[in-house]
Amino acid sequence: MAEEHLDDVYRYLLYVTGNPHLAEDLAAATFERALNRWRRFDPRRGSARTWLCQLARGTALDHFRAEQRRRLREEAYALETAKPEEPVFGEGLSPALDAAVRSLSAAEREVIVLRVVLELDGETTASVLGIRPTAVSTRLSRALQKLEERMTSDVRD
Amino acid sequence: MSETRFENILQELRQSAPKAPGRLRERVRALPEPNPRAFGVKLRPALAAAAALAIAVGVGGAAIEGFKGSPDRKRERLGLEAARTPTAGDRAKPIPEQAHALSSDRGRFFGPVFPGSRLQQYDVTMSARVDDLSQGTKSAIRTTRRLGGYVAAADYSTGHTTGDSRLDLRVPVPHVQQAIASFTELGTILSQRISVADLQRTVDRVDQRRLEARAVVSELEAKQRRIALTPAEQARLSRARLTVTRLSRSRANLVAEGTYAKVSLRLTTRKPAAKNAEPGRFDRFWGDAGDILGKEAIIVLYALVVAGPFVLLAALALLAERARRRRADSRVLEEAA
Repeated sequence: MAEEHLDDVYRYLLYVTGNPHLAEDLAAATFERALNRWRRFDPRRGSARTWLCQLARGTALDHFRAEQRRRLREEAYALETAKPEEPVFGEGLSPALDAAVRSLSAAEREVIVLRVVLELDGETTASVLGIRPTAVSTRLSRALQKLEERMTSDVRD
Repeated sequence: MSETRFENILQELRQSAPKAPGRLRERVRALPEPNPRAFGVKLRPALAAAAALAIAVGVGGAAIEGFKGSPDRKRERLGLEAARTPTAGDRAKPIPEQAHALSSDRGRFFGPVFPGSRLQQYDVTMSARVDDLSQGTKSAIRTTRRLGGYVAAADYSTGHTTGDSRLDLRVPVPHVQQAIASFTELGTILSQRISVADLQRTVDRVDQRRLEARAVVSELEAKQRRIALTPAEQARLSRARLTVTRLSRSRANLVAEGTYAKVSLRLTTRKPAAKNAEPGRFDRFWGDAGDILGKEAIIVLYALVVAGPFVLLAALALLAERARRRRADSRVLEEAA
């Protein structure tokens, strides 16, 4: 199961964090968590991929919260992002699109990766995000609109 | 942006989807195998099973109680109905010491055992269904007279198909038990009430006061024979004589009350209403089981009424907490770069 869904979990976490190394660590943590909690997995409530995405989301949120606390403590935050020259969201992605995706918030990238990259349906995405399917549609529409705007402005520049 | 370009972006995002690096694959492979699934109780099936068990216990208990309790409760009900049946001859009794409302079985008597040493007042109210009203009434009067009693009042009326007679009888106390036993043989007893009030204490009190008054009379009469009485003494003597006369009359009345028992006998040819027909075993079962189920339903309803607001508050708190958590998650992701 881990082998089968590893790419999906990694893609999701990469889009949410925007950092390949962090995504890698969080993906490993997600599978560790999955192994510990696999007794709770109920196939009648959703597929393994959905459950893993939910776990990955929880792992990412935990990480972001820890980061927030650390930032407050140190009052200095150095975001560990990849260098702009290196493509983050895929080898074949154009630099313009990569930069546009990177400029979105984690919440916007999250809905794009689930609906566009992983091609989950609205219901499943809503289940992962814990919101209604209509809210998923709205969030996706806004994210894509923003992506389009960023791409257009890049082309003008 | 044109539709084509938009589609191109989506396609590019899909085609360029990143793959997990080899070192991540190795790390995941290196994770330990999960423990085999241990036996665990899942909450929802466990709750469903508990609810089903509670319903089964409730219904089963009611069914068992229905089987067990039917005959006893039937008798209990019939007894209570017999006790409650009001009769025309039912009057207020002075301080009844014993009261019995007993079986409706034909010809059976469950009356009290009468002590004979003390002066007591007996009031008996009986109601019986007879086949032949005339014969039953005559038989009751004959029995009363044979035992040394008499008929104080009688009311006899017959209609097209039914008839009633009411007899106020006076039966010598030593023979009252015999009389009641005879009356129960007339037909089916519908109701029976026997009350016994002790008159002895009252008679003793009257005797005591009478003795005191007589002593006063004797004393004053003796004095009167020697000297003339003062007007006050004359008045006192008159009052004492009156008291003696009044108490003697009162005692005679009490003794008369204790000599004859008052028996109010009502005979009827009316058939019992269909609704009073004895229920069958199946009906009794459903009736008793229904009673138990009704009580269980009341208990459950009571528990729901008491616990309902708390459950509702807990559910609302849970929903609010989930909404708060969802908003907090969204905020965290919005703030993350």
